Amino acid sequence: MLNYLLFIATMGGLYGLLALSLNLIWGGAGMVNLGLAGFFAVGAYASAIFTTAGHAPIVAGWALAVIAGGFAGLVVTLSTTRLREDYLAIVTLGFAEVVRLVAANEIWLTRGTDGISGIPGPWKSALGPDFNAVYLLIVLAVLGAVFVLVRRIDRSPYGRVLRAIREDAQVAQVAGKPVLRFKAEAFALSAAIAGLAGALYAHFTSYIAPDLFLPLITIYIFLAVAGGGTGRPAGALVGAYLLMLLLESARFFVELVPAISAVQRAALKELLIAVVLILVLRLAPGGVMPERIPTAPRPSTQGKP
Amino acid sequence: MTRIAFGRRTALLSGVAAFAAPAVLRAQSDPIKIATLTPLTGAGGPYGPVMAKVAASVVEDVNAAGGVLGRKVQLISEDDQTNPDAGVRAARKLIDVDKVAAIMGTWASSVTTAVAPLCWESKTFLCTVSGADSITQLPHQGFLVRTQPNSTLQVARSGEFMLSLGARKIYTMIPQTPFTQTTFDLMGKLVSKAGGTHQGLVYDDKKTTYRTEVDQVLRSNPDMIFAAGYTTDTVVLLKDIYRAGYKGKIIGFGYSINQKLVDQIGQPEIVEGVYTYSPSPDEGSGAYDRVKKVTGLANPDPYTCQVYDHANLVLMAIAEAKAATGSAIKDNIRKVSQGGGKTVDNAVDGLKAIAAGQKVDYSGASGPCDFDDKGDIVDCKFRYEQIKGGKFTLVKIA
Repeated sequence: MLNYLLFIATMGGLYGLLALSLNLIWGGAGMVNLGLAGFFAVGAYASAIFTTAGHAPIVAGWALAVIAGGFAGLVVTLSTTRLREDYLAIVTLGFAEVVRLVAANEIWLTRGTDGISGIPGPWKSALGPDFNAVYLLIVLAVLGAVFVLVRRIDRSPYGRVLRAIREDAQVAQVAGKPVLRFKAEAFALSAAIAGLAGALYAHFTSYIAPDLFLPLITIYIFLAVAGGGTGRPAGALVGAYLLMLLLESARFFVELVPAISAVQRAALKELLIAVVLILVLRLAPGGVMPERIPTAPRPSTQGKP
Repeated sequence: MTRIAFGRRTALLSGVAAFAAPAVLRAQSDPIKIATLTPLTGAGGPYGPVMAKVAASVVEDVNAAGGVLGRKVQLISEDDQTNPDAGVRAARKLIDVDKVAAIMGTWASSVTTAVAPLCWESKTFLCTVSGADSITQLPHQGFLVRTQPNSTLQVARSGEFMLSLGARKIYTMIPQTPFTQTTFDLMGKLVSKAGGTHQGLVYDDKKTTYRTEVDQVLRSNPDMIFAAGYTTDTVVLLKDIYRAGYKGKIIGFGYSINQKLVDQIGQPEIVEGVYTYSPSPDEGSGAYDRVKKVTGLANPDPYTCQVYDHANLVLMAIAEAKAATGSAIKDNIRKVSQGGGKTVDNAVDGLKAIAAGQKVDYSGASGPCDFDDKGDIVDCKFRYEQIKGGKFTLVKIA
């Protein structure tokens, strides 16, 4: 049981990283990135290939994943500078599919649909059964660092500019902000975080394959961010853990229903997850922890804002 | 606020449900736990539900006959959603929370490869139906067997059959899978040795039409098309091949071209004359007939037959070892699957014989089920069928 809980906590942490990544770009700058799974895959493959075929140390793999993710993010934003909202969403979705298809077909590089197995975990053989606990600590440390970073961005003038772009890019432009640069930077940073999450995932489960990076995972993260609270890093993080809790606890609830077949149970589980998510969004439209917009300081009040 | 109320209500409900469960379940303090991990949703959705059902029927029969080692058997069925991520999470739950001795029926090769390390690290036994060659080459320390002949064997047999039908210009249409490249290499070698030509095309299995792909294939005028996909994409592919006016022969895997595919296509003329082949037991095997009866299908697919065999083998191995652990199954599964002795085709008979101290040799619904050291099946017969008037008719078993 303990191992299972550690495992779920680790997966929740990885989903949390993805949620922070999405929140930065979607909640912050209002750019819909349906290609999250693609950046996740880029990071996972970069680190997996570098550490298995390239025999590089794991930390180097993680660093490469951050760079590769960020670079991919930059390429996607700079090639879609004129696209916003739905159009950007479609292009990013396409990007994720392209990544998946390349991973499935460029067998020389990615071993195709066989996937890459035997990806090393940090001190895995020395740790034995304690590996899950140690890895959880690593993931939590990374998650904590990223959380501090994005929250700092969120509360800084930089974050305010992003929100201004989200509300109205033209107004931000008129106010003299270089909108494109802000968007590209935020998107690249978000993609880099997703890439790091991918690398952490790959070295945790020791196996990746193109099937892992279907759009489903992107949808999960959107649900996590929407349920937790768009535009607030803590909300995204809480949303990710709530989602993981929901996905896993649904398993145990449906087991209590007597006299239904396995396939009905699987369907019921999906149904239960959907109903809870609808309820959350219906009863708390801003998510469990809605965004807090600090009131604008009045010139007459004393002290600094 | 509302979230909390929901939690309370659910907790209350679950409490009530636990008390409402039959007293027998609670009294049986220590059942033997085994699990199926099949795709109940996702791309494998056409296969997984029947697989889970047939495994449940084996457990039911064994429990009705008194269980294993005097203990009841409990089967837990999880859904891998045909997705390695969901599969891994489900497997973790089965291993760490339910503490099952064996996981049976993983279908997609990617799911099996993702789940296998968890199994051997936690000494849980894994029975799979995935065909990718790479699976038995994993460092699984004996904790894995598969009943599906590996893709090399399958493709070699289908190639020989195509040549025996007189085909000389063969075109393989296949989605990107772990056995795609193997298929091209093997078919190329086989066909050119017989003086024919072979070409291959990889298509995307999530497309809704294959007009361009079919046109490209028909341009070279093949006399045999090897449609090597899964049911969902093959439905579309066969329709497009028919519309393009192709007159040659078509062959595909039995797991893809089955009754479900014929029903989904709905026009018998499209599938008329199509050949299929699948790993098979000898005609009239008792196990195969039982799978037919349990599933209510005239042609149960090979995966269903294999999961039936998994459940039987695992339970007999537990009885042989007198211990319900993954290591015990690993050390004993070959003692009940091969090596002579009383031939049995179901666990109920096998358990009786084992209790009487006899050596058993299981021969199941998918074939003789003999494994080599790597966990691959040693020998396997194939069943070749042809669709005539919407019905599958046996061509030969060889």
